[in-house]
Amino acid sequence: MPARPGPAAALLILLFAPAAVADEPLHARIDKLIAAGHPSHTKLAAPPADDGEFLRRATLDLTGTIPSSAEVTAFFADADPGKRTKTIDRLLAAPGYPRRMAQAFDVILMERRKDTRVPRAAWETYLRDTFTENRPYDAFAREILSADGTDAKTRPAAKFFLDRDGEPNLITRDLGRVFLGRNLGCAQCHDHPTVADYKQADYYGIQAFINRTFLFPNAQVPTAVIAEKADGEVIFTSVFDKSKKASATGPRMPGLKPLDEPKAEKGKEYAVAPAKDVRPVPTYSRRERLAAAVTSPENPVFARTAVNRLWALVLGRGLIDPVDQDHADNPPSHPELLDLLAREFVAREYDVKWLVREIALTRAYQRSSEVPAALTDVPPDRYLVGPLKPLAAEQLAYALSEATGNTSADAKAAPLVAAFRGVYGGAAGEPDDGTTQTLSQTLFLKNGPVVRGLTQPKAGNLADRLGKLPPDRAADELFLSVLTRRPTADEKTDVTAALTRTPAADRPAFCGELVWALVTSAEFRFNH
Amino acid sequence: MPHADYACGSAAHAVSRRGFLATAGATAALGTAGFASPDSTAALARNQKRVLVVYLAGGVSQFETWDPKPGTDTGGPFRAISTSVPGTQICELLPHTAARMHRLAVVRSLNSTTPDHAQGERVMLTGRRPEAGIEYPHLGAVAAKMLGGERAEMPGHIHILPGGGGGRADATFLGPQFASVPVPDGRPPANLLRPSGLTADADRARDALRQSLTDRFSRSRRSAASEAYAASFAQAERVFNRADVFDVDRESLKTAERYGRHDFGRHLLLARRLLEAGVSYVKVSHSNYDTHHENFDFHIEQLGEFDRPFAALLDDLSDRGMLESTLVVVMSEMGRTPKINERFGRDHWSNGWSVVLGGAGIKGGAVVGRTNANGTTIADREVGPWHLFHTYLRAVGLDPERNFHPNQRPVPVADPRASAISEILA
Amino acid sequence: MPLDPTAARVEREYRHASPLLGCRFDPSGRYLFATSQDNSILRFDLVTGGRTALVGHASWGRGMVVRAAGPRTSNPERAAASVAARGGAIGPAAVALPAPPADPFTLISADYHGKLIWWNGHAATPTPVRTVEAHAGWCRAVALSPDGATLATCGNDNLVKLWDAATGAHRRTLTGHTSHVYNVAFHPSGTRLVSADLLGTVKDWDAATGACVRDLDAKVMHKYDPTFRADIGGARGMAVAPDGRVACAGITNVSNAFAGVGNPLVVLFDWADGKSKALKPKDVFQGTAWGVGFLNDGTVIAGGGGSGGRVWFWSGADANSTHTLTPPAHVRDLAVHPAGDRFAVACATGAAVVYTLRRVS
Repeated sequence: MPARPGPAAALLILLFAPAAVADEPLHARIDKLIAAGHPSHTKLAAPPADDGEFLRRATLDLTGTIPSSAEVTAFFADADPGKRTKTIDRLLAAPGYPRRMAQAFDVILMERRKDTRVPRAAWETYLRDTFTENRPYDAFAREILSADGTDAKTRPAAKFFLDRDGEPNLITRDLGRVFLGRNLGCAQCHDHPTVADYKQADYYGIQAFINRTFLFPNAQVPTAVIAEKADGEVIFTSVFDKSKKASATGPRMPGLKPLDEPKAEKGKEYAVAPAKDVRPVPTYSRRERLAAAVTSPENPVFARTAVNRLWALVLGRGLIDPVDQDHADNPPSHPELLDLLAREFVAREYDVKWLVREIALTRAYQRSSEVPAALTDVPPDRYLVGPLKPLAAEQLAYALSEATGNTSADAKAAPLVAAFRGVYGGAAGEPDDGTTQTLSQTLFLKNGPVVRGLTQPKAGNLADRLGKLPPDRAADELFLSVLTRRPTADEKTDVTAALTRTPAADRPAFCGELVWALVTSAEFRFNH
Repeated sequence: MPHADYACGSAAHAVSRRGFLATAGATAALGTAGFASPDSTAALARNQKRVLVVYLAGGVSQFETWDPKPGTDTGGPFRAISTSVPGTQICELLPHTAARMHRLAVVRSLNSTTPDHAQGERVMLTGRRPEAGIEYPHLGAVAAKMLGGERAEMPGHIHILPGGGGGRADATFLGPQFASVPVPDGRPPANLLRPSGLTADADRARDALRQSLTDRFSRSRRSAASEAYAASFAQAERVFNRADVFDVDRESLKTAERYGRHDFGRHLLLARRLLEAGVSYVKVSHSNYDTHHENFDFHIEQLGEFDRPFAALLDDLSDRGMLESTLVVVMSEMGRTPKINERFGRDHWSNGWSVVLGGAGIKGGAVVGRTNANGTTIADREVGPWHLFHTYLRAVGLDPERNFHPNQRPVPVADPRASAISEILA
Repeated sequence: MPLDPTAARVEREYRHASPLLGCRFDPSGRYLFATSQDNSILRFDLVTGGRTALVGHASWGRGMVVRAAGPRTSNPERAAASVAARGGAIGPAAVALPAPPADPFTLISADYHGKLIWWNGHAATPTPVRTVEAHAGWCRAVALSPDGATLATCGNDNLVKLWDAATGAHRRTLTGHTSHVYNVAFHPSGTRLVSADLLGTVKDWDAATGACVRDLDAKVMHKYDPTFRADIGGARGMAVAPDGRVACAGITNVSNAFAGVGNPLVVLFDWADGKSKALKPKDVFQGTAWGVGFLNDGTVIAGGGGSGGRVWFWSGADANSTHTLTPPAHVRDLAVHPAGDRFAVACATGAAVVYTLRRVS
């Protein structure tokens, strides 16, 4: 075989190259576009994350917790060059994956609102099943937007409507934010004052799908279901318009034409006529057309928003940022990449697990988050370094439980979730990016009984086990369990020496404080 | 992650990991830990300047407060009443404040250009028009840094708000230790005290290990969020050391009565305690004034809650000799429309509304600017939030023409195109 | 004989330069009075089409009553017919002809400076005859006992007060409300009166002794909005029917008090047992009901607005409105004509519109 291809072979390679490019996996194409997005990207970018960094990050992103010390040791020892890809596949197949995705989408869809009409357990089960079965995202969206709550089996999907009390303005705004990448809230009373693309007509075009919808029998009872009248038009005026000209609109997705609606035949407007204690069913339902309109191939913002949100989930920041500000004056950081992801997602029939996997396989995702010394300027949207994200409330709960030797099995960790949601969950109805640290959160960590209960020695937990180990073995076990890495030489020396000095009887309590110091460090608090 | 140069070099962060592990297990007490005694703190507080902002959230109506227009098509049903300043009248809904008007200056010609809640709040608290590429720090962060500094015992920027609420990244390039610390509902924070079984030594020691791990992490992975996280522990420590300040129940019954037992009264009383303890900036929010519907009824209710405690606060500051060193500002994010809408409401308005100042460096009784007869335009001396920002700084003895230096770039403390409103400076 | 709300049509429309606040007919039905944001009270003459401004208040008001000064001798119907017969009909020409004389009466009006003014209401240009400082803060409503002897007022000092309607002498103060009292009205027997406050309590008082006989519950009309931290509530309009039914108009289901996001509501109390029924617009409408009355066939009628004005009718036992009218503007008050088959609305645009349900003969 010649060491270099001759001219004929080179020609053959050139002929086949386009085909090879077309078969190139998505994650490779993603990396190419990211590299093209910054001069000297390849030269300046951080190297791949080391084993510990990668394993912790992937475990948190894909299963919402940290790896056990046994998993860490096994991963470090594994010499298989394909171990990272295998780990990603193992994590995606684990029960932690649907749990993690369910928790993430709970926050996206419901933003910590009170559970008023769909109990938490039923909702979480519904979401977990969705991701266990890897239901296509468009089908999932259609369920959320069309469930009417009358069938007990599908009622949880109606939570988006029901636990917003069916309030049309709230639903219009949140529907736009979650599925269409647009926060049209300010366009309720007038064209958006600062975003030229967001018009009042767009707001009411969405609302027209649900303006006939109401909660039956009323908005007070917890067992209410969604019902719809056969009449009612959407008319709006701008508060800025002195002439108070009234406009009307039928159901319409932003940028698209209004729906063709059948003319109601007099006397035949209802399949089930409204009467006392009778839930009316109109012959023509505007709400039933909402799901199809949102997820229609003619509404490309749906796929665009979906991939942007999934990208943001894994990489910490959307290609359009903020994720609900998709408009001409806020272009995506990598427009070609966003288009590619949207196209491929649709071609793969909205396969969420596939997309998440492709993103996780990218070099961009697997890059170290340590800023190389030579890099003085790190723009937030060029992916020169790996993602750095604060842990979500649920991730903190599970990670803390796992780290302190209480495992992240649901039975042990689930009760913690409520406590962490209370302290770390964002305000109800507000988007939560988890970037602030309040005094109450810090005090919860410093002095609160929940964290103390986990870190202090208790039968079989980490502090208990560490306290019983010979001092020179404790440091490794401590750092592997909590921070998914081995201690540095200095750290090991100091921990060993300190433990040796401590009387054996006091060691478990002392280890409890060591564990506390590690779980409250920034290194633990962040997904890096 | 912007590679900003946060000013994080305080001594508290310098405790080393080796230090912790070297002394771990030792039982020697550390004595009184070297905290300033209450007396010296009080003395310090009297000489230092501080700022109190009473924030009437939602957009308070200037017609129903500082710039009434009775008997006009825009004036509404309320009377204007005389105040302790001859020739100056305010709305009848503020009788107690009216009697203390000689301590206050009014600016009636403010054009804040943004009739919007979030943006309006931003321009009012930063004194800057929004600019691409830079986020300016809020007044509280500036005050905390320039009046209190890095070594301040108490957090320098505190925000007392009625309900729940997280912190905000409002210190921007000044660094997270100057970001607002929210005190929801004015209640002392939960979990403030050390759990039993944890000695002060052990607490200090474990915190040193936490800090050293965080330092190592931060060497190569700094971000605004991780910096804020690290700073929050130092802040929690400071708050813990002065936990008593948060306990409003330590005030006499008589004082509590003067301020009033309802939320806003309690919050203003807590503000006075915090200011007295040396906090450089306290903002107390009063909710809510965004009265698009039944504006007059709601202002009766809200101003009824505001008037007496605010008057009590002015008296209290004066009695304690704190008024000369405390700048008091009453502001909102905007005013309300002269036009009364169909539902007896007033809508958003930034074209000519009022802000009130008092205390340190302010000429009591001064009135600057005029709106026309029915409040639809500014008639004289139009000013913007940038002019007010200069004025706040000058009032507490700071130089608004100085620069900050984030990333070694000079950024003026206040908008260089504006200047202070000299008519209200003493 | 039942009226047909679908037959409602505009009989007269007046336009004032300032927004209107409240309206009330005089007992003869000749005049419609409307209070305005320019502090004046307009007297619209339904016979001649003319208008007169009553100047004297220094603040807004919504409460008015008309007290006959003597027996009724005039007949506005005949007067209107005679004006029409003179060929001048309605319009500027008619104003030039001498107006038919009206029976003497006193108008008593209240304002938000807490004052009551007695006016010689039938005079060519009425002037204040007496002024009484009635309440600290807003005097929100006024009511006259059926025998014309007693005046009841209520206001923001949480008080209800009784006065000698002829002399203005204060008779009695009724205490017990714990919040602003929005409205007051007499029972047709004259022995009792009802008052409604911001927090949704309706008090039923013995007119002679001043004792509170019972509290009725209209709390569905009140809400403390936790986001804005303020109370919204109160019977913005109140009326008592000849059979003693008490109607209170306001807003309910409030999700945003400061934007007035909620639904109009009329709470209708049965006098005998004090039980209430919630009357709602049939078509979902976001807004407030500001005024309410009873037509002569017992139909409850309310006016209000949100995005646009509305008048709702409830006939029979249905809790949902049986008919809806869309006036040209947001309705701030509604008054029923003494004949019970006509009504007027006072609008935020300054328009006062008189509707009739009389069949065209």
